[in-house]
Amino acid sequence: MRILLIEDDELIASSLAKAMTDQHYIVDIATDGQIGAELAEAYTYDLILLDVVLPKLNGISVCQRLRAQGNQTPILLLTAQDTTTSRVLGLDAGADDYVTKPFNLQELLARVRALLRRGGSTFTPLLEWRNLQLDPSTCEVTCNGQRLHLTPKEYGLLELFLRNSHRIFSCSALIDHLWSFEEPPTDETVRSHVKGLRQKLKAAGVVDDPLETIYGIGYRLKPAEGRIRRENLDGGKRKRGDRETAQSSESNVITLPDGAKTSTNQISAEIKPDADLIWKQAKESLNCRVRVVEQATTLLLQNQLDEDLRQQAEEEAHRLAGSLGMFGSDEGSQLARAIEPLFMAKRALDQTQKQHLLHLVTGLRQELQQMSSNDDVSVWLSTQPPADEYPQLLIVHTDPELAAALAAEAASRGLRSQIAATPAIAQEQLAGYRPDAVLLNLPVQHKQGRTSPALDAPALLAELNSYTPPIPAIVLTGQEQLTDRVKITRLGGRRVVPASATPSQVLEVVTQMLQHTRTAETRVMVMDDDPQVLAALQRLLEPWGMRVVTLDNPLRFLEVLEAAAPDLLVLDVEMPHVNGIELCQVVRNDSHWSGLPILFLTAHTDAETMHRVFTAGADDFVTKPVIGPELVTRILNRLERSRLLRSLAETDALTEVANRRQSTQKLTQLLNWSHQHQQSFCLAILDLDDLRRVNHQYGHAAGDQVLFQIGKLLRQTFHSEDVVGRWGGTEFVIGMAGVTREEGIERLSEVVNQVRQMEFPGAQSEPFRVTCSASIVHHDATIDDLQALYRAADGALNQAKAAGGDRVVSC
Amino acid sequence: MATKRVLIIDDDQEILAVAQLTLQAVGGWNVITATSGDEGLNKAATEQPDAILLDVMMPDKDGIATLQELQTNPVTQSIPVILMTAKVQASDQRWFARLGVAATICKPFKAMKLHTQIAEVLGWEQ
Repeated sequence: MRILLIEDDELIASSLAKAMTDQHYIVDIATDGQIGAELAEAYTYDLILLDVVLPKLNGISVCQRLRAQGNQTPILLLTAQDTTTSRVLGLDAGADDYVTKPFNLQELLARVRALLRRGGSTFTPLLEWRNLQLDPSTCEVTCNGQRLHLTPKEYGLLELFLRNSHRIFSCSALIDHLWSFEEPPTDETVRSHVKGLRQKLKAAGVVDDPLETIYGIGYRLKPAEGRIRRENLDGGKRKRGDRETAQSSESNVITLPDGAKTSTNQISAEIKPDADLIWKQAKESLNCRVRVVEQATTLLLQNQLDEDLRQQAEEEAHRLAGSLGMFGSDEGSQLARAIEPLFMAKRALDQTQKQHLLHLVTGLRQELQQMSSNDDVSVWLSTQPPADEYPQLLIVHTDPELAAALAAEAASRGLRSQIAATPAIAQEQLAGYRPDAVLLNLPVQHKQGRTSPALDAPALLAELNSYTPPIPAIVLTGQEQLTDRVKITRLGGRRVVPASATPSQVLEVVTQMLQHTRTAETRVMVMDDDPQVLAALQRLLEPWGMRVVTLDNPLRFLEVLEAAAPDLLVLDVEMPHVNGIELCQVVRNDSHWSGLPILFLTAHTDAETMHRVFTAGADDFVTKPVIGPELVTRILNRLERSRLLRSLAETDALTEVANRRQSTQKLTQLLNWSHQHQQSFCLAILDLDDLRRVNHQYGHAAGDQVLFQIGKLLRQTFHSEDVVGRWGGTEFVIGMAGVTREEGIERLSEVVNQVRQMEFPGAQSEPFRVTCSASIVHHDATIDDLQALYRAADGALNQAKAAGGDRVVSC
Repeated sequence: MATKRVLIIDDDQEILAVAQLTLQAVGGWNVITATSGDEGLNKAATEQPDAILLDVMMPDKDGIATLQELQTNPVTQSIPVILMTAKVQASDQRWFARLGVAATICKPFKAMKLHTQIAEVLGWEQ
């Protein structure tokens, strides 16, 4: 963890730096606000300790400047003036917390830890990964209760990975985080530190290697799913504060008997010598197979592929698909599976498909090289479920045959699935596993069937809805009655599919929904006058699921920018006609693009160029020649940060639903989607009756509270694929796709009824109540654009108001 | 309970090696291997295994043809067969289901999970 300390009092600075260094933090010190701000802009810090009274630029201004640039690093203010004004100013300027001088060192360190937690994905003060624990407050690392002795750098590495469980760190990112700018090491040094850490963890008995090497990119923490049993812990060794991890013996569908459960790892160890031997031979044969595919690809690209070799390549690709995953490379299997049909008989490939094939085969070779370089057979002898990128579907079905048919259909669409026989078992499984969607079969309830699994379904649906983000559920049911459908929807079922649907129809709905809820691919635009750089970046970024738009002519910059609407822009500094820095200023001056992350490629890293780059509004830079891993991690990190900012910018602060701009965009998308898929679409307006009375009688704070509660209710009632936005003072607009008018009325009536029953605390008086009115309109041929729908709904809302409010009117 | 004996028919040596290794280690089963449909048919008849794992795509005599011969031979027709396939199209799955096999296992399987998968579909004690 790297910390920037901006403090002009040398005595305080040096004593603080020492205390932090003792806790294994890396500390950079700046003695005035100007230098501090520049350091914060140039380097990545995990936290900034900021004095308020500083020469050149005071702390409040530093804070404002960083926040204005979208820098989200946690900031802790050190303030001597224990006056409310300076604290309020600081917090308003974007600081996260403050301590007043003279401060208690222990308290300050605790606040630092709390802020560092905020940035991470974990909410426990203890960082855990399977049987490994790191306690940041004592800097102790333990495995099964036994203490490990790590060097400060090893400790820092481990803490960084544990706090950022999904991030990939290249060597340069690790240097950014863990070394001060005065002592940058070489990548080789970093790699040897990682190696040292791995060895110590392994020696200490950590199950599996927690760190995953992402080939050619960097390192990442493996998911800690499938926790291990802690039966090897004896109670005497356990310290206070050690928490029992929740164990579910049903965390996988495939359950081993207890005896086997404790011994599979032993078995893996016992058969390791044999497995080593198998792998040694397998490597050679896999290599030959890939070579056949490569040869066939080369000839195919030259249009010289004969029938024999074609057939052989098709067979070898098929075999590779069937065996690579067995050796722990699911990705290899997927690549081979994608290659196989391209070699099928009577199939002429066009230029794009040929390029695609070449791309796949190159990836396959790389995958095999990586497998060959990592001779650790425990990868495929492990009983942990693989953690890969394919969406996970949990199928809850009492009929094993139908469940298997659904699972097979899911597999054919690239989904991984698990099966649970009843909702209760599914709930147990959720203890150690987060599917992307749940398919729930709801058998018809018989009056006598008191133990019907259907009785457990509401609890499961409620649990799925309680996660953030909620896990979408698709309900298969024979109950076609409107009231039943409404009941299911109310419980959080996203889609209702008749039980008579074929597996293929069911999975069609599932995949549609997953596509709909998963974020669209990321678009990156690269502007460079060197076509070779463009081609290289395209090859580098596309495997990461980014769509790369390249441009070598700066004069076409604006039109391409508009057309591509990228999520991130990469600019070259030096170009003919117009340079990248000027383009960056043009982008920044356009309010539409002011939030677009911009990365510079530059061969010059002198202070002058850096200063110009950042003054023009760049977010980051990468030096040329470009080192792939560094660029990829910087882009991924930048995107992550801009997504966070965007979510802040798109949400209405009071009610936490989408703001008007964002929801308008989302409604338009949803409406277009409904048109395309011939789905029905409803637009509703919900408006609080008589806010003025509430504000007048109980104060504005009470009015805000009412709006917040209504926002919360709407967020709970409508799902992530419906759109809820706040359009005016008291007015919420809701868009629903795939919902009939009757269902929409039912859902709105439910909300109106619930609002009527809410009680709000009056200041000195009795609790008070409010009501709201709603209107709903269903799109048809005459009203099919958003404006027309809104006008119609608004007219209906006026009728509801005129009739006294507290009702739903449809038109 | 007598030790289970499983015959695996697959033209891919790696699959045979890994399946043999883990089924013996995890399940304590005896594993017999065959690298072609014809060899598999012979061993099924002579060895009388408790179950057969059969790869679908093999050169010469593929898994489906092998299966039909197993089913028409009175000596082997009552042995449960599990098909292994890297093709997981729903249409294939439906077709396999109609062929009267005990189950279909998708390749690539996870080495240490194979034993459990087989025991589950055959209702064997684990």
